[in-house]
Amino acid sequence: MQEFTESRHNFEECMKCTVCTAYCPVLQVNPLYPGPKQAGPDGERLRLKDPYFFNYALKYCMNCKRCEVACPSGVRVADLIQSARIKYDKSAPKLRDRILASTDFMGRLARPFAPIVNGVTSLGVTKTVLDATMKIDHHRSFPKYSARSFERWLGRRAKEQAAFPEQVAYFHGCYVNYNYPQLGKDLVKVLNALGVGVQLLDKEKCCGIAMITNGMTGLATRHAQHNVEVLGKAVDNGLKVVTTSSTCVFTLRDEYPHLLGVDNSAVRESLLIATRFIFEKLEKGAQLHFRDDFHMKVAYHTPCHMERMGWGVFSEKLLRMIPGVEFTLLDSACCGIAGTYGFKKENYQASQEIGQALFDQIARVAPDVVACDCETCKWQIEMSTGFKVMNPVSILAEALKTDED
Amino acid sequence: MVIFADMNHIMSANEFDVIIIGGGITGAGTQRDCTMRGLRTLLIERTDIATGATGRNHGLLHSGARYAVNDAESARECIEENMILRKIASHCIDETDGLFITLPEDDLGYQQTFVDACRSAGIAAEIIDPDLARRLEPSVNPALIGAVKVPDGSVDPFRLCAANMLDAKLHGGQVRLYTEVTGFIREGDRVKGVHTLNHQTGEQEDYFAPVIVNACGIWGHHIAEMAGVNVGMFPAKGSLLIFAHRVNNVVINRCRKPSNADILVPGDTVCVIGTTSTRIPFEECDNVAVTPDEVDLLINEGAKLAPSLASTRILRAYAGVRPLVSADNDPSGRNISRGIVCLDHEERDGLKGFVTITGGKLMTYRLMAEMATDTVCRKLGVDKACETAVTPLPGSEERSYEAVAQKIWESPSTAQKAAASRMGTRARRIRSENRLDNALICECEEVSVGEVNAAIERLDVSTLTDLRRRTRIGMGTCQGEFCACRAAGLLAKAHGCIEKERADLSDFLQERWKGNFPIGWGDTLREAEYTQWVYKHVLGL
Amino acid sequence: MRFDTVIIGGGLAGLVSGISLQKEGRNCAIISTGQNALHFFSGSFESMEEAPARVIELFDQAGVRLHYREGVRLMPMGTFRPAALSLEDTDLFPEHKFARKVLIVNFLGYHDFFSSFLAEGLEKQGMQCRIRLLNLPEMEQLEQSPSEMRSVQIARTMDRVWEKLVQEVRVLLKDEDCVILPQVFGLRDTSVPSKIRQGIPARVVFAGTLPPSVPGVRTQMLLKRRFELLGGTYLMGDEVIDAHVHDGLVHSLVTRNFDSHYIEAENFILASGSYFSKGLRSNPTSVFEPVFGLDVEFPTDRNLWYNPLFAEDQPYMHYGVKTDENLHAVKDGVAFKNLFAIGSVLGGTRPEFGSAAGLAIRSALNVADQILGKQ
Repeated sequence: MQEFTESRHNFEECMKCTVCTAYCPVLQVNPLYPGPKQAGPDGERLRLKDPYFFNYALKYCMNCKRCEVACPSGVRVADLIQSARIKYDKSAPKLRDRILASTDFMGRLARPFAPIVNGVTSLGVTKTVLDATMKIDHHRSFPKYSARSFERWLGRRAKEQAAFPEQVAYFHGCYVNYNYPQLGKDLVKVLNALGVGVQLLDKEKCCGIAMITNGMTGLATRHAQHNVEVLGKAVDNGLKVVTTSSTCVFTLRDEYPHLLGVDNSAVRESLLIATRFIFEKLEKGAQLHFRDDFHMKVAYHTPCHMERMGWGVFSEKLLRMIPGVEFTLLDSACCGIAGTYGFKKENYQASQEIGQALFDQIARVAPDVVACDCETCKWQIEMSTGFKVMNPVSILAEALKTDED
Repeated sequence: MVIFADMNHIMSANEFDVIIIGGGITGAGTQRDCTMRGLRTLLIERTDIATGATGRNHGLLHSGARYAVNDAESARECIEENMILRKIASHCIDETDGLFITLPEDDLGYQQTFVDACRSAGIAAEIIDPDLARRLEPSVNPALIGAVKVPDGSVDPFRLCAANMLDAKLHGGQVRLYTEVTGFIREGDRVKGVHTLNHQTGEQEDYFAPVIVNACGIWGHHIAEMAGVNVGMFPAKGSLLIFAHRVNNVVINRCRKPSNADILVPGDTVCVIGTTSTRIPFEECDNVAVTPDEVDLLINEGAKLAPSLASTRILRAYAGVRPLVSADNDPSGRNISRGIVCLDHEERDGLKGFVTITGGKLMTYRLMAEMATDTVCRKLGVDKACETAVTPLPGSEERSYEAVAQKIWESPSTAQKAAASRMGTRARRIRSENRLDNALICECEEVSVGEVNAAIERLDVSTLTDLRRRTRIGMGTCQGEFCACRAAGLLAKAHGCIEKERADLSDFLQERWKGNFPIGWGDTLREAEYTQWVYKHVLGL
Repeated sequence: MRFDTVIIGGGLAGLVSGISLQKEGRNCAIISTGQNALHFFSGSFESMEEAPARVIELFDQAGVRLHYREGVRLMPMGTFRPAALSLEDTDLFPEHKFARKVLIVNFLGYHDFFSSFLAEGLEKQGMQCRIRLLNLPEMEQLEQSPSEMRSVQIARTMDRVWEKLVQEVRVLLKDEDCVILPQVFGLRDTSVPSKIRQGIPARVVFAGTLPPSVPGVRTQMLLKRRFELLGGTYLMGDEVIDAHVHDGLVHSLVTRNFDSHYIEAENFILASGSYFSKGLRSNPTSVFEPVFGLDVEFPTDRNLWYNPLFAEDQPYMHYGVKTDENLHAVKDGVAFKNLFAIGSVLGGTRPEFGSAAGLAIRSALNVADQILGKQ
């Protein structure tokens, strides 16, 4: 007799209710995309019959996972789509996609020459050349590279950090390391204020999300295996591992097992977004002391992967906790960038149309700062609205009462 | 060339050389063969094509291996027809190959007997390493201790039946669906025509022909009685389950004496486990039901072939009735033949102009049709060789659907690829210049407006259920939740009768539910509840 | 994380109870496994007999306008159903013949709206019907997609180009006193249906389509927003996988997204829906409630779960969790003190609560009142 109530084949739990199609951001702007239902559970049955039925238009999926959040049946629609791309799309990734996907390699290469690289990539002529030769849209700016890596900064403070009674490991990701070490420093400041010292992992690698979405599965899998191993060392030492990027932590937790088949069960529950870790500390009685004169009108945007993890509430509750914060929760909607997706010339227009509702709402709210836990959302929102975007951790750091105060 | 009894007689619209009763695969195949040999034919079917045993079996393209040990003749027929159908019915055939697996509880010694019998019947049976079997078919029970590879396949009975009937029509044959034979017109010891009633129009009509072929499967028992002869059939019910996706891509059989639920066949986007075998009374033939015990047995036995069946969604349960024929008029039915039975009732019973063709299998239909047609031709004095073994059916002019799709469309969409896999070269007839024709009616199986309209125009579609048999709409995961009412809109437009279409839609949903409730739990029950909401509360049907 | 009340299920019942509690200052969380049955909402609460002013007010404050009138409403297949309390853009007619001549307008290539069935149904009632198809250039993008000519996508387009539609319908309109349009308006811009009504010089009736239901999605969006604006926490796309229970009290919940971070509360409300939403689950031998293992009554003979006729009432749709008279959920015959069950997880055998939507709303208000100490 059937021992399981529902099918073990996740796609068969699809009731064909069409709810996902109402929440797919891509469908609203791109008629070439078959939509989550067709591309996911419907298409899967045909692909199982014959890979010939694979549709290359699946590449238009942004992997935002909003279909999965909306699905009343718990079908991992976006995983089905990305898995199908991994399994059946045999076309080799373009040079452009390889470059966009190699966030850590590029960072390592560029960092020593940061001022030159930053100057060159922000030049109009470079952008035009990139647009024409690489199909990287000229509206986009490459994130600036920092001259000093975060790893080096924290490495110098290892001893001082080790002195704290409680310890946490930090998966900083490529963005904090090469582009914006300040966010990492802000995290250290907040955690130190909670009595927690911050350690580096034993040489983390890029989480690999951009490699996964750009068809470089083999490399992504090697990164995943390496990361699970170094994360395992930290977890074995009794440490939680935090990140300040919702996409990094989502990739480490869910994309590794679901898309790459890399078993992370030993470390998964120890991987947290920083705001959840901080919230849990405060809930258990730790205290943060805030400045009396802090005032900031904050609108919180829930990044897609934060929405998928269901953790936006931790960032939200932390921000609401800060005295002087005037808080607005923005309607949960995709900003359109989806990592490297929006950087590609062919996606630029769709990307901007997808984000329009969010941009409009931000303009109406007119906050001092848009808060969000994702660096690519930050670039997109800053480029498209002109409003400043900060990670909730940085807002916390700014609001903290320091010894000088 | 037609040698009619009275040479001076000018044939009227209701007169034919041969009337075939029964729109299953045997009837359709016989009509095709007869028309290809130049006869004027009429096929009469009480409901729609392929509604009896034709559409209610595994859809297995037997290699013959299953019969090799006990019935060498059937085995030889199977392998010969298997090879022929691959050539003439390519768009109805999936060349999957098959495995006969030995499980730890089975006798591995049987394997050699089996292989020897296969080889002597001309079936390429090859013992392979269990490891190789697990690689060839990852869903197979990993505990297997032996495996034999044979040239099994799967065949879509609806497509096959429709293609035969279409070809008969292209050769000038006529078809009356939803028309029931209510009596025979006799003249002394000769049958010369039939009284009929059209269930859709209520019209009664008489048709005449010097030869009438009874190709009604189990219902042929009554047709023969009506004509005044006794064929001696016994109805045997077989129940099957359809799973929601293709768990396996290779047919999986048990390498043992044939038994219940020991064949798992991948067909199109699903797979089918079967079957059971229970004698039932004739009264039940029109309304066979699958019992919970049968469902349980099918799942339990099926999971021994492919363990994941125990946790795979089931789409529906259905049952067919095999016509078992007692050999040589043995009324006890103890001596049953599963082979082909072609009876010339003139020789057997002294009734002129009446032929019964029955027994056999879905996949030996062509041979049965050839035998029946040979008998008809002999009676009519026609001397023309059978060509059905070498002439492809309409749609089967190419070997692969990839080739078909690539020839028709520059870069075919998924729905167009799917259409090519269903219609073969006839997919050419799907209009797709207007993008509105590409809109999907059935999302599960990717059936477009163009494909539905092509079926309505060419393939005698009266009802949604007919349309399902010809296009696969409503055969997917949701069992017609969205496509049924969309297609009802297209049918209503084509037939111009909304009121009838409303009733048709209700009938369709009832027909789907009939196959759902015997397996109504888990996701199937969720889907059923959703369908109830959509049709009763949202749409207000 | 701790709340006053945690509601499992974010559909109509969950939202109504959440809004009622949050409005009174109770800190609530709603945990919802994805979207819900409001997406298939027909626009009408079929059997709310009396005018519940309280419900109208609650919805009104969320921006969902309801109207009340004893009458019948038009169903998408051209039939009629008795109805009373409905969304503003779902018409209620005192009698079946609501017009003399009707112009039914559909979009070219839209198969989820049943104009010919509507026409046949209305003609039976003595109304003359004319069907016309609109081919708006603005729909071109949707037409390119074989599968996405769906209600919500059309509604998105119509939010932008409804004025164009009004113009086109005015051109088509001859001497008809009524125009029927598919219910694909007002997804984001909720004023579109009334603007269309104002723009067309005839009575405008919106008839439903295949799901997703545009008024349903809109209702869900507005109720959810209202709940959040009141300070409620809506955890979308999470699933309760376990509960910590002790001494007849529920202490905390374990969810898929929060794993070891338990969600605690004073009171818990189970509003997890029926089979579709997995509030009830079934296997070949039983029907059960998956989170708490509450008592569910069903016949052991599976054959009795179904009526073989699709059109007939289906017994399985009546099975639900057992409660005491105050809707406290019951397990092994004992009622929980702080766990209530509301909405369709109760099953359809509660005549005192009316239809599914009526059951959802009334049981939600009942439990909210109890928690607030009003009963």
